[in-house]
Amino acid sequence: MLSIKNVSFTYDDAPRPALQDVSFDVADGEFLCIVGHNGSGKSTLARMLNALLLPSSGSIFVDTMDTADDTHLLEIRRHVGMVFQNPDNQLVTTVVREDVAFGPENLGIPTEEMIPLVDGAIAAVGMEEYASSAPHMLSGGQKQRIAIAGMLAMKPRVLVLDEATAMLDPIGRRDILDIVRRLNREEGITVVMITQYMEEAVGADRVIVMNGGRIDMQGTPAEVFRQGEHLRSIGLDVPAAVELREQLLAKGIADCGDAMTIEEIADRLCPLLLKN
Amino acid sequence: MPIIVEKLTYTYQSGSINAHTALKDIELTINDGEFLGLIGHTGSGKSTLIQQLNGLMQPTSGRVTVDGFDMSDKKQRKQGRSLVGMVFQYPDYQLFDETVYKDISFGPRNMGLDEETIDQRVREAMRLVGLDEAEFAEKSPFELSGGEKRRAALAGIIAMYPKYLVLDEPMAGLDPAGRRAVLDMISDFRKKLGCAVVMVSHSMDDIAHAADRVVILRDGEIYANATPAEVFCRAEELNEMGLDAPFAARMAAELRRRGVKIGSDIYTNEALIEAIGALGRRGKDA
Repeated sequence: MLSIKNVSFTYDDAPRPALQDVSFDVADGEFLCIVGHNGSGKSTLARMLNALLLPSSGSIFVDTMDTADDTHLLEIRRHVGMVFQNPDNQLVTTVVREDVAFGPENLGIPTEEMIPLVDGAIAAVGMEEYASSAPHMLSGGQKQRIAIAGMLAMKPRVLVLDEATAMLDPIGRRDILDIVRRLNREEGITVVMITQYMEEAVGADRVIVMNGGRIDMQGTPAEVFRQGEHLRSIGLDVPAAVELREQLLAKGIADCGDAMTIEEIADRLCPLLLKN
Repeated sequence: MPIIVEKLTYTYQSGSINAHTALKDIELTINDGEFLGLIGHTGSGKSTLIQQLNGLMQPTSGRVTVDGFDMSDKKQRKQGRSLVGMVFQYPDYQLFDETVYKDISFGPRNMGLDEETIDQRVREAMRLVGLDEAEFAEKSPFELSGGEKRRAALAGIIAMYPKYLVLDEPMAGLDPAGRRAVLDMISDFRKKLGCAVVMVSHSMDDIAHAADRVVILRDGEIYANATPAEVFCRAEELNEMGLDAPFAARMAAELRRRGVKIGSDIYTNEALIEAIGALGRRGKDA
């Protein structure tokens, strides 16, 4: 679906490159999580996936379309939808429905086809009752749901979320994660989720860890979160359940294997704790 | 002398058909030097309340006094406000000057301090927030990363030596190391200057770790005002309000749900591990 080949990028006047020789593929239907400290190159990478930025060297393909070839620009933007961190910066109109219609309208989709697209997208994020509301009256989490709907209305094949949950409260965060997981599972939309919350990476198919503009490591969440010490050394962390598991093991209390959630830890601990 | 909030009610667009009461009968005292965690669901009134603490908004009824200065009175407000430093959620809205150094010196200069003191304060603030002077002093705030902007905004406030430091989601958008660093920095600064801290955060683990007292706002009213231990053992109630309990409290609740006899007063990892260890030993001996 996406192919990133030897990509490097340096911002104007920057002393160091933001990305150095980054290569990876994203499979059709995959749920990929990218984690990394602030300034590790995650957001730069995200902006390249739909040609908001172009590599200084190397290339990026969406299917067979090179993002550097501007004859494909519209097609690439339609296939790869982006949702950013600050919910206030991506809503443009005064009515939710108009906001969601903004993308398809720009693509020149005729009105009669657009209405079901827009209504479907609003329903997919559970915001039907707010379709006629003003976006600025919504909570941060609701705004992000509208931003996602705006992308869905263009029927994208890939959804890129660049720390889209960073400014939300726990409920808003959970809502977004649930919606994105469902879109991935049920609609087969490929997801690239960039996040600072290690908990959000637990359910991914694969995790890529960025450090200093390079891919530091990648693997399944279970594989990556076995490397707690290393992750902390590059400014990251492990999910809280993994940290607990590490401490229980270090103190010789219990071995919880690869447990990464509260439920998995409880599965491992209950046989031990319910004996008496 | 503390910040005292008495019978504070605040209504947006008071008198119009869109009138919306954001805060109702709030009674709250913020004592010298304490670390108060303020939590609540989005829309519970947290942001409205903290803007009352430095007089950015005035009560529709009731009163806020900062060390005796009435924040509804224009003259007294100026004096009261000089004691309260506010750091907002989006640092972009707080940075404006050409260089990081100028930005941080803006507050102390406004206070009428002499150049030598200003310089000393700016350097100290940069050191406290971990912004290397040689690298950052002459940079434009707009070239900074999200985490660096947050540090610069915080430095600008602490250079004024506030007696009360009010922080709205100071860790939002930061990576795990950045979150830890900012939280440590706040504690260091509090120790050094003895200021009180009011921190709004969605991270219950951070609040549990740092706060002496926790206030929960719900629909514009104070729902709880107690120690972290008293507040965080009510995991189910927190959940109903759309709030998380700290991880250790959620883990303990899950174990209890499955029949494990583990205390409902657990909300820190240390206590959780100790309890699991004790139960595990008993399990092995049985």
